[in-house]
Amino acid sequence: MTQRRSFILLLALLVTMPAGLSAQTPEQRFEQGNEAYQQGKISEAVEIYESILQNGYVSGPLYYNLGNSYYRGGNIPRAILNYERALRLMPADDDLRHNLQLANMIITDKIEPVPRLFLWDYFDAFKNAFTLETVTWLAYAGFVLLVGSACVFILGRTYLLRKIALWGSIASMFVLAVFLILFFVKLGDASRTDEAVVTAGIVTVKNSPDEKSSDAFVLHGGVKVQIVDRLSNWVKVRLADGKVGWMESKETERI
Amino acid sequence: MHAARVAVIVLLFGAGAAMAQDVTFQASVDKNPVGVDDQFTLTLTLGSSGTGGGKNLQLPELNKFRIMAGPNQSSSMQFINGVVSSSVSYSYVLQPKEIGKFTIGSASIEAGGKTFQTNPVPIEVVKGSPRPKQQAAAPEDVSGQIGDNLFLRATISKTRVIQGEQVNLAYKLYSRVSLLDVREEKASNLIGFWGEEIERSKDAPPAVEVVNGKQYRVFTIKLMALFPTQSGTLEISPMALKATVQVQSKRSLDPFDSFFSNPFGRSAAVDIKSEPLKIKVDPLPLGAPDDFKGAVGKFAMSTTVDKKTTRTNEAVTLKVTISGTGNIKLLESPAVELPVDFEQYSPKVSDNISRPQGLISGSKVFEYLLIPRYPGLKVIKPVTFSYFDLGKREYVRLRSPQIELNVEQGAATLAPLIAGGSREDVRMLSQDIRFIKVGQIGFTRPGEYLYSSASFIVLMLLPLVALVGAFVYSRRQQSVRQDQVGYRNRSAMKVAQKGLKQAAYLLKESAGSPNPKQRLRFYAEVSRALWKYLGDKLNIPQSEFSVEGAIAELSRRGVVTDLQQSLRMVLESCDMARFAPTSLGQATMEKSYEEARRIIVELERTLRS
Repeated sequence: MTQRRSFILLLALLVTMPAGLSAQTPEQRFEQGNEAYQQGKISEAVEIYESILQNGYVSGPLYYNLGNSYYRGGNIPRAILNYERALRLMPADDDLRHNLQLANMIITDKIEPVPRLFLWDYFDAFKNAFTLETVTWLAYAGFVLLVGSACVFILGRTYLLRKIALWGSIASMFVLAVFLILFFVKLGDASRTDEAVVTAGIVTVKNSPDEKSSDAFVLHGGVKVQIVDRLSNWVKVRLADGKVGWMESKETERI
Repeated sequence: MHAARVAVIVLLFGAGAAMAQDVTFQASVDKNPVGVDDQFTLTLTLGSSGTGGGKNLQLPELNKFRIMAGPNQSSSMQFINGVVSSSVSYSYVLQPKEIGKFTIGSASIEAGGKTFQTNPVPIEVVKGSPRPKQQAAAPEDVSGQIGDNLFLRATISKTRVIQGEQVNLAYKLYSRVSLLDVREEKASNLIGFWGEEIERSKDAPPAVEVVNGKQYRVFTIKLMALFPTQSGTLEISPMALKATVQVQSKRSLDPFDSFFSNPFGRSAAVDIKSEPLKIKVDPLPLGAPDDFKGAVGKFAMSTTVDKKTTRTNEAVTLKVTISGTGNIKLLESPAVELPVDFEQYSPKVSDNISRPQGLISGSKVFEYLLIPRYPGLKVIKPVTFSYFDLGKREYVRLRSPQIELNVEQGAATLAPLIAGGSREDVRMLSQDIRFIKVGQIGFTRPGEYLYSSASFIVLMLLPLVALVGAFVYSRRQQSVRQDQVGYRNRSAMKVAQKGLKQAAYLLKESAGSPNPKQRLRFYAEVSRALWKYLGDKLNIPQSEFSVEGAIAELSRRGVVTDLQQSLRMVLESCDMARFAPTSLGQATMEKSYEEARRIIVELERTLRS
């Protein structure tokens, strides 16, 4: 028991030490990373950005800049991984979408997604127009409007005022419902753990979680996959075009 | 021969043309299975879509085969539909030593800083191959009979050379017999040399030479130009030939036999070999320039650019021509230093070699494809090329003039970068990634969301508090309204004033008309307003109301007697007017009205305090 406690203490020390040593705010580190990037010291920029992440801070622009640094350094799979991570935090960012598209074009595997109902694309476009934070605020606004119009309805003296308040509360209830649904969808997206990017250079995907199994297909670094199952150190992945196979989990990294 | 040709498909990855990693290195043979007496070609192809050629080629172990010739290097470069691909192949002519199934192991090569290996190639060597037979009869050992009537002599033009200097090797067959066929059984092992066979005229009549008093016809079997690639004493191993000669038949006394026997005699196979040779190769002197890559001889260099002005994303060809005499085939491409925003591909190499008087000379052309990505005036540093001048015995460095290119902004529609994909993709790829985000950004902890933060929860509660407040307030309002006493008390003044307003109106009306009905209504209104006010204020039902009762209540509440008297007077005058309306004039009416108003105001003030 005491051993375990001292281990935890040591761990805590190790975790806090780098933060203590650098004694810099993540904002300052971020500035340093940006400077290194601008001076062309790409590997230094990568190191600095990664250290911010290691200290337990995340941010859309941070992932974006890290992705750019990896891209410049020629590590396209890692660039894609970080762009995908940034996408969760700032889905509407135009620069990010541009760079991710560019990086995806460079990788070896061109995977055609399975066609789906066009309505889903509309829904996605609507969904991606907002960040989780914006949706939270919009749902909050709907909630405030609903409560406000309910208050007017309760306190209103004249018939007209109360009538307006009634319609107002119906409308704000609709707004609240839409953004509340969107909020839960986006919350689910943000905390999903089944998306990964292939980080190994080249991977032979097997038909079953066994090295001696027959080969299903070959994947190259940078491909985004969906993890549908896990078994010890193997993961079952599904590609956007519907292909399914097993690969070792160390060859992928979760978004 | 039923050897199936192996089709070799060199996959030139178009999709990832922008990346230098897409390099293929493959091995192939031109026949499989192969006869034990046959020669076949092993080709190692280095296909790359990016920059950089191969270096440091390592052959697999070929102890089951003899290398008859090679390596012969050929390169090709393609620029089709915006895809740049190049391939270099090294080919070796091999001959099997024995029958069986073998595997040619992996060859390796360095390209772009990485080492690539070929696939192992299985090969089956089968027994003999039906090559055109000269004579069905079994050859008979006739070596003794041939003696010194047939021999092979290898000669070299120089026995002491400097590394990289050309040496001519000639194989001559001296013959005093009737030759039916000569074929090469085993080529010399030219370790440490780069060999180039020199074409010789096939139809030339044999020379005649006298050796040791005997006259021979001399056939030049093979002429080679050798360039030593290492220093020291190098040995040229013997060449083996198999010659089929015609020998005299043994005399037969049988005329029948004699009749059917070949009148020209029989054929016999003879193995002949040349003597091994030794060459002393001196190393190149010290002090080689940095860009010296082993060129020895005498060379000149010229550089040309196909256009001086170009647009972004449009290819420019820089052509470097090195011409002269020496080991041209071994020349490596000179390095071209480009501004950073240029895309460069490995050069397309072509050579044109002639062999006048057995001296290898000609030119080698390196075509560099350059693609500028950004506009501006670009300067390509002078191209340099160094060689060792054999005449002067010193290193010579050639330098081209500086090349200036004016790059204009081109339409960024089609980048010669990638194959496949749509036009839109291509347009995308000609772009670069966008700049990083700078400035102030907010950081969060992973798994930390706005909705779960304490301040947001407080914000969520605020409207709820407001709602509860509104609800409570409205309930209070309602209960107040239900509290009739309080309500009547509070609204008594308002109600009374309303009644008095009506009374004032009636007063005005009656002023003009002598109609007593108007007066009656006026008094009724005044009386009603007063009674209602008193009723509301004192909380007495109107039915139980009397002047006396009201006065008593007022005095109980501390209203001054003066006011009580006034009230009584007004109420009485109202009563009087009801029964005798005409008795009261306009002036009295006005007085009563004023009185009633004063009473209400006074009472309100008194009763509140």
